[in-house]
Amino acid sequence: MISQLITGAGYWSPLLWLAFLILFALIGYLIYSRGNPSYKKDTEQVKPYLSGNAEPAKEKIQVKASDIYWGFIEALKGYYKVLQAIHTGDLRDYILWYLGVGTIILFLLVGGA
Amino acid sequence: MGKLTNFKRSLWVFHASGGSCNGCDIEIIAALTPRYDAERFGIKLVGSPRHADVLLVTGAIPRDFADKLKRIYEQMPDPKAVIVVGNCGTSGGLFYDSYNLVGPIDEIIPVDVYVPGCPPRPEAIIDAVVKAWLKLEKLEKELEGKKE
Repeated sequence: MISQLITGAGYWSPLLWLAFLILFALIGYLIYSRGNPSYKKDTEQVKPYLSGNAEPAKEKIQVKASDIYWGFIEALKGYYKVLQAIHTGDLRDYILWYLGVGTIILFLLVGGA
Repeated sequence: MGKLTNFKRSLWVFHASGGSCNGCDIEIIAALTPRYDAERFGIKLVGSPRHADVLLVTGAIPRDFADKLKRIYEQMPDPKAVIVVGNCGTSGGLFYDSYNLVGPIDEIIPVDVYVPGCPPRPEAIIDAVVKAWLKLEKLEKELEGKKE
């Protein structure tokens, strides 16, 4: 037997939910069926109106993760400019930095002894 | 104007202004004011070409606007009609030999009704819309014939 679930926030009736689902699907279908059937797919007719401008690629209009901390990078751009130039992506460069900085630290720690 | 048997709905119009001096645009607005009240015939300006039956174009169309105008025309659903309002769009008008113009408009998109004038009176614009309506009636009939 399908019964109602009564909670402190209201009630849940699966049959009522189903009835509304069918009702709204029917209303949706009625609206859809009254649409313009002469629409041509894959043409400008289905693209958004952007004051006559071409629709940019989806990737270009996305909000990127880096946009969130854009202000931070902008404020520290002098620092980032140097840092980004150092980041060549070449592992040999990083090893060279590691060895260079390691040598300096080693020299400072034991050089005086 | 006879009875419309195929195009049985209000006429929605999209207005695109390309390099106009605003004279024609002001007359279009005048056609919607209480004195002329085009809306009582169901003629209404809409904000997107995707909702429009008629494209109303003003201006002599500068080079940069030509592809945008073409796109606006292509985004309109069928059947559709185009009205050119003013001398500039009709023939180039005062600016016909300007280096930066690609008009007249009928060299960019197909035009159905021309309204010459600098600027034309609101009555002339409303008359043009009625002429476009008759054209749409014919086009709608053809579309329905294709469906059957």
